[in-house]
Amino acid sequence: MSSTFLAFNVASRAMEASQATINVTGNNIANINTEGYSRQRVDINAITSGGGIQKYAAPQISTGMGAKAVGTSQMRDPFLDARFRSQNAEASQYDKMITGLSDLENIFDEAQTDGLQTELSNFIDTLQTFSETPTSVDIAQVTRTEAQKVTQMMNMYANQIKDVRKQQVDDLTVVVSNDVNAAVKSIANLNDQIRTEEIYGNIPNDLYDQRNSLIDDLSGIANIKVNRTPEKISEDLTVDRLSISLVDKNTGNSIGLVDNDKYNTVELVDTGDKVELFLKETGSVDKDITNLFSDGSVKGYLNLINGNGSFADPSIKENDSKGIPYYQKTMDIFASKFAEVFNKINSIVDPADPALKPLFTNTTGGIGSTITAANIQVSQAWLDNPSYISTTNNPSDPTDLLDPTGTPGSADNVLRMISTMNVDQEFEGVPGDPLTTTFKGTFNEYMTGILGDVSMDVELNTNFASTSKNVLDSVSTSRESVSGVNLNEEGTNLMAYQKVYNAAIRYFNVLDENLNTIINTMGQ
Amino acid sequence: MDITMRITYKMMTTKYTTNLNNMSSELDKLNTQVASGRKFAKTSDDTSSAIKAYQIRRNMAKVEGYQNNVDHAKDFLTNSETNLNDINATLSDATVKIQEGKNGTQSSDSRKIIANELRVMQNQLLDTLNSSVSDTYIYGGSNTGEKPFTVESGKLFYNGVDLDTIADGSDELKKLSADSLYVDVGLGLSFDSTGAVNRNSVFNYSIPGINIVGNGKTADGGSNNLYSLLGDIATQFESASFSSDTSDTIDKLFGQFQTASSKANQVTTEIGSKTNYLDFMTDRYDAQSLNMQARQTDVEGIDAAYTYIAFQTQKVAYQAALQMGTSIIQSSVFDYMS
Repeated sequence: MSSTFLAFNVASRAMEASQATINVTGNNIANINTEGYSRQRVDINAITSGGGIQKYAAPQISTGMGAKAVGTSQMRDPFLDARFRSQNAEASQYDKMITGLSDLENIFDEAQTDGLQTELSNFIDTLQTFSETPTSVDIAQVTRTEAQKVTQMMNMYANQIKDVRKQQVDDLTVVVSNDVNAAVKSIANLNDQIRTEEIYGNIPNDLYDQRNSLIDDLSGIANIKVNRTPEKISEDLTVDRLSISLVDKNTGNSIGLVDNDKYNTVELVDTGDKVELFLKETGSVDKDITNLFSDGSVKGYLNLINGNGSFADPSIKENDSKGIPYYQKTMDIFASKFAEVFNKINSIVDPADPALKPLFTNTTGGIGSTITAANIQVSQAWLDNPSYISTTNNPSDPTDLLDPTGTPGSADNVLRMISTMNVDQEFEGVPGDPLTTTFKGTFNEYMTGILGDVSMDVELNTNFASTSKNVLDSVSTSRESVSGVNLNEEGTNLMAYQKVYNAAIRYFNVLDENLNTIINTMGQ
Repeated sequence: MDITMRITYKMMTTKYTTNLNNMSSELDKLNTQVASGRKFAKTSDDTSSAIKAYQIRRNMAKVEGYQNNVDHAKDFLTNSETNLNDINATLSDATVKIQEGKNGTQSSDSRKIIANELRVMQNQLLDTLNSSVSDTYIYGGSNTGEKPFTVESGKLFYNGVDLDTIADGSDELKKLSADSLYVDVGLGLSFDSTGAVNRNSVFNYSIPGINIVGNGKTADGGSNNLYSLLGDIATQFESASFSSDTSDTIDKLFGQFQTASSKANQVTTEIGSKTNYLDFMTDRYDAQSLNMQARQTDVEGIDAAYTYIAFQTQKVAYQAALQMGTSIIQSSVFDYMS
């Protein structure tokens, strides 16, 4: 026979359990808009009697002993988390590419402004005017000014590309030091705290949520993978050991970032023409992990800062997306070719040795492959004398090669310059080596080509980003569907458990009455 | 979407915000299009249209350059023609005077007067042949900085070469008579194997003086150019005795003078046909320019009516979404709990 006050315990446990549920429901409602919050649920177990195993067992009516709230758990699907994180890495990469490539596009874009293409057309126009009166010093000056505009535009492009690079490197430095290193450190701390709580038998839901939030953020930055390995503490207790590693999905190589309470930091080194990322492990040599980043916003940055496009050397695993180094190189090829072609025409006395009368040089007067988009300028000789530009190549005396002023009114050299602006040129990656020809077309077409390249990239990445974002939204919705708070549900729970509470109190009253009857009324 | 999926408060607000954001960015894009009249604000908005647009801009700039060259050539030819008319007028006057002087009834004094008049006309001819426009000598071919015609010891020199020494059919003559000023008018500028400009691919717009005055020597060994002929005839008129020999010499010289004059006349016709050609080129380029402008508007500009309607439609949709949102989000079971 069960004891007298056993039933009272059942009633009081019922009230406790309902109260716990009502509290948790309140917590859920309060946190409905909290970022990263997973809804919580009280785990209520039914308590059974121990079963009396006695020597002389007699069948009894066994009843349960009520309900007990054993803990609060959160509703979270780790599988959806993993999917979200990998998708987040992809979407972030495209976002970053779009931002950086748009910056590059703004440099070259001429939809609503005048850029190098317009200046080249103006230069051709000026040459045409010059061909009408080639002996006019005034027009020669105008031609020189127009040529200066072309070279200064090239200088401007080169400088702006450098500015974009500086910005991207600065941004990446901030991302690495703040977002990556700080996040990694916080996660390690949280791991430690969570482990301590779990060992004491608590379920630290809020800490879980915090940690998941940090890991979500980190997933947007790099292609990370989260591993949980069970660790046995004692007979009854197993806790999860959480580690995060950077995994390159193409090669399978991985490197650890966080292992329980230990963490490694990442450092950025800028060598001037590219950036490298190093892993700093205590007690070990820095490892170059630049190529391990295959997704996330860091990959986007690396593509932009290190991308060498078609000039990339696959044997040393150079980044082959069209980034800043690629566009710098294409502009340098353009500048070098432009100077080469015009210097040749102008040095009509001895075309085999174009050093004789260069129109364009670098800042120290050098010519040839030393000319880049950043340093090309009108030569000092031309700046000193506007008529330095050779308008004709008919010497007055065929035996006197050094006097080209035989037919000064003729504009044949100017026409040669006009023609050279309108015929196809071969732009070589390595000057002088026709096997490395990257483009065959006019100067203007080359610039249009560059602009087309970067615009297509922006368009492409915008489309990729849009698709990726859709998938991310869909996974995010699924995740929210599992972990999110639904007001209707909570409201219903509230009403239901309030009823349970009322019913438990009713039951308590009934028991009280019964006992009262036994004590006070029986045997009277 | 799975119909058994839980819909949470957060999901609804997030989705609503995302949709509103998409709609308002589309609205912004249409608004910019209507306000600027451009289909694309930067190249990546519509790369293929933009690249086409840049090609059109390039071609328009080229045509403008050709148009300028055509205008310059026309101006130059007009000047050449005006001066050539003066020369032809002088030659007609000279012809009349010579016929007057040839008449046997003239006294030797009146012949001397005529001779003087002829010498004056000679100088007029020389001056007109050396005429210049804005410091450019127009009849010197590619020699635009120095006077093309000079007289040295009574002989006429063209660009430093004695005209008497240039025989018909010689290479010298070919070189000097082909040496004119030229511009690129879009005929397909090309260069021959030696790197020299291909004369068929450009427009020659100046008249080398040697084509007007004539060159070489006559069968009798005298100069065969207009200037020297006039001088020789004047010398004959100045001779003290006027015999039948003198008459015959004058007749011969006069014949050569008339042949040479007709050559000068032909040059006028040449200028006429060149000017006609330039007019034709002007019309062509004007038409081309208009066509390209139309194409440019096609490629870069918006269809105003269509875009404006799209903008209005989007505005209505956006407002509808805004109104709906307020009713979706608020209600839950709590609103109905007592």
